[in-house]
Amino acid sequence: MTLPGAFVDVLPLGVTFGSAIFSNFYSRENRRQSYAIGLLGGLFVYFTYIFFTRDFNTSLAVHSFFDIRYNKISVFVAALFCGSLFLGLYPSRRTVTLSESFLFYIAGGLGIILSNNLPTFFLFWLFQRCLPAVTIVRDAVTNSTYGGATYLKQHLMALTCFVLLLYFASLRGLLVTPMTEMPVTFFTWPVLLLAFIIIYQSHGLFPFHSWVHDMVGSFAWYETASVFLSRAGVLLFVQFLLPTLKTDPSSFKILILSLSILSSVYWSFRGLSEETPVRATTYFYVAQSSLLLTGLQADAVAVKGSYLHMMVISISGAGLFSILDYIKHSFGLERASRHLGLAQYYPKLSTLFCLFGFCMIGVPLGASFVVEDLVITGILDYQPLLGLGHIFATCLNGILFFLIYSRLFLGKNPFKDVVVNKDMPLGQMLPYLIGLVLLILIGILPYLFLEKLTW
Amino acid sequence: MIEILFQALLVTPFLWILFLGLLFFTKLPVPERYLSEGVKYFSFFMALVGLALWAATFAEAPRFLLLDYEDWITVGEYRFKTRFIVDLLGATYAFLTCALIGIIFKFSRNYLHREEGYFRFVFLLSILLFGLIIVSFARSLDLLFAGWELVGTTSVLLISYFYTQNQPVRHALKAIVTYRICDMGLLAASAWAHHFLHSTDFYLIPALVREQHHGAQLGVRFIGIFIVWASLAKAGQLPMSSWLPTAMEGPTPSSAIFYGALSVHLGPFLLLRFYDFLSQFPGLLVLIGAIGFASAAYASLVGRTRSDAKTMLAYATITQVGIIYLEIALGFTSFALFHMVAHASFRTYQFLRSSSLIQDFFENPTVEQDVRIDRPSPFGKYLTAEAKERLFIHALHGFHLDYFTGLLIRAVSAPANLYIRWEKYSMEVDRKFLKRILGRGRL
Repeated sequence: MTLPGAFVDVLPLGVTFGSAIFSNFYSRENRRQSYAIGLLGGLFVYFTYIFFTRDFNTSLAVHSFFDIRYNKISVFVAALFCGSLFLGLYPSRRTVTLSESFLFYIAGGLGIILSNNLPTFFLFWLFQRCLPAVTIVRDAVTNSTYGGATYLKQHLMALTCFVLLLYFASLRGLLVTPMTEMPVTFFTWPVLLLAFIIIYQSHGLFPFHSWVHDMVGSFAWYETASVFLSRAGVLLFVQFLLPTLKTDPSSFKILILSLSILSSVYWSFRGLSEETPVRATTYFYVAQSSLLLTGLQADAVAVKGSYLHMMVISISGAGLFSILDYIKHSFGLERASRHLGLAQYYPKLSTLFCLFGFCMIGVPLGASFVVEDLVITGILDYQPLLGLGHIFATCLNGILFFLIYSRLFLGKNPFKDVVVNKDMPLGQMLPYLIGLVLLILIGILPYLFLEKLTW
Repeated sequence: MIEILFQALLVTPFLWILFLGLLFFTKLPVPERYLSEGVKYFSFFMALVGLALWAATFAEAPRFLLLDYEDWITVGEYRFKTRFIVDLLGATYAFLTCALIGIIFKFSRNYLHREEGYFRFVFLLSILLFGLIIVSFARSLDLLFAGWELVGTTSVLLISYFYTQNQPVRHALKAIVTYRICDMGLLAASAWAHHFLHSTDFYLIPALVREQHHGAQLGVRFIGIFIVWASLAKAGQLPMSSWLPTAMEGPTPSSAIFYGALSVHLGPFLLLRFYDFLSQFPGLLVLIGAIGFASAAYASLVGRTRSDAKTMLAYATITQVGIIYLEIALGFTSFALFHMVAHASFRTYQFLRSSSLIQDFFENPTVEQDVRIDRPSPFGKYLTAEAKERLFIHALHGFHLDYFTGLLIRAVSAPANLYIRWEKYSMEVDRKFLKRILGRGRL
């Protein structure tokens, strides 16, 4: 058992878990709400601070089985995880009521991000994925609603694959080996296949994506977001698979590259045929995040683009969902009309929604223009035809976003009430503005940020 | 001198946009009078600088200025170079942009007086100006794409200017779908140029193709095809013509500037920029000529069946742009540039007058004399009455272009729709299975 000098590093995880348990006994909703949002803000500041100052050698191996490590990628993802949730929750803190299990979602997400070997990752992954499963089973038993059946089925499949992967690792004596240090010889075809299923299922990618439909319908946006923002699939890919990917069979690389592009195309089509704004926005978000893996698999240029992409979709996505949620609570989205014309009620929020979306779909002066340039260049250098597929997916995403925007905010007002301005006050929307300024700054001066994304 | 003028032309709209953005979010109340005064000085300054730059480049022509600034993005060996070319083609287009947008700003001062969205209109038109300046002087495909996208985005947002009605929003959607489909071409051209030639610099690409015998490669030919493809949406050429007449839902000044003058001529401008490269492939020139001819014939016939002024003008614009395509294909590049400038200026005038067409008509002395304005087709005498009638019906339906496009979209999305149906069925099976296990009375 080794305890490093920087014991303070375990605090974020400990505090989150501790407060999650404590808040269930001491459950005064307002206080829990403020505490959770404050905790996210504090964790964001903490991780951002160590991202810029730390030399990243800290390891907290409490036991060889339970290994937590602070490396640059995990701290980056952790900062994004906490920062994005804070950005999304702070402005709507008076309209949204956080669920009792939300702090557990955060704790599980942080655990996934900071884990360093397969058993630790598995532990937190299982913990976080069990939270929705418990709700689904409870609903099925008490309310006779069976909406989460596919979630359960697909996670059971991924769980089986994970157990098999752990079994293979233990056979080779590599169970507690850090993920980044797995020898190349370990990655045989069965291992690659199992890893592929776990990664694609965790990230909601085709053909193991159907569980996302169940999540969208039944859970609050911040719970769904905390599952996605922990980036289990991406982290497993980056830390476990990526170091050996150069030696992997090229057919395997092409298979996973083309499936992630296909996945993005699929989600875009799904969004185009969807009438509900919240669902369509979620599909748009998942279509965008599907493209994360394409960049990571190509070359160094595209990898950098993908890390930047992760930042962009985390911030923009949280902004989009938060605005939608605020409108849903303050006005309501359930109206029988194709166009809701909400820009008349929310002129500034509609502008922010539009700008967050533009920052995601590659409009110049927004961060994702840089992302697109890097990722597409990288993929084309590796596989020109798949690069064209990526361009097609990006094009569809753009169309989908404008469709969502037009249905929500544009068109004839179907409501009979008098049009009044229901925008948030400027102070309340400040986190959105800060996030947006950051995304535009990345778009205008990308070199300031790209220098920091090296590991 | 030229460089300073160019920098002023590029930086001023950018700062202006930032200023307007700040005004919007800080909720500072800006009376319309002050805003239109500010717009007046801004557009006057831009037109003046544009004219000075055009005069300077005209005096220097055929020489031009190549400007290299710091790399915008650097990752490993990859560089996104910020390079510009200040030549007569770019300066002419930039001056045209500044002058016409200045006129539009002046016109809108009265036309959109006390209109709720005046600020939005000014803001979007300023972004358009910035985008067009980038397109005019960009020396690489990547940079050109940035300006190109800004133009497309502002265009779509201005089509849906009257956003409280459903029809303009639907037409804006149609425009963005068309734009995005063709923007794929520009993105693909840029990416393939990176891949095959390791450069997207307009100035270097023709030489690279000539010297290194890249012309023999299929990939290099595809760069040309992608560029032609990219040019079609903005220019409203076949098969991407049907969106343009429906895009007239925005305010008349924006229709004039986008679909009469500047945005619609970006297609020919792109072809002129790439002419040195395209001319190395005769097959591509034939393709450009064929598209131009077919579009001109199509729009001319369909335009004759329309009864409202703005739609007729839209089809007339497509016809003229088609003819410009033909001129480029035949190698008359200087004439094509002249045609572009003349057509843009004249069409802007026509669009701006279209709002007061009825008044103009009644003030015309020929009305009192009951003189009918008749435009018999020169080919009419070669057709039978029955053939004329059939042609009229097909032209009235726009030669069923929307129908065929719908068929294509349905064919492309058929596999996805099929899969979605299967997935829904599969999820239903899962639900039934869960119900069987956890249903009431079982636990």
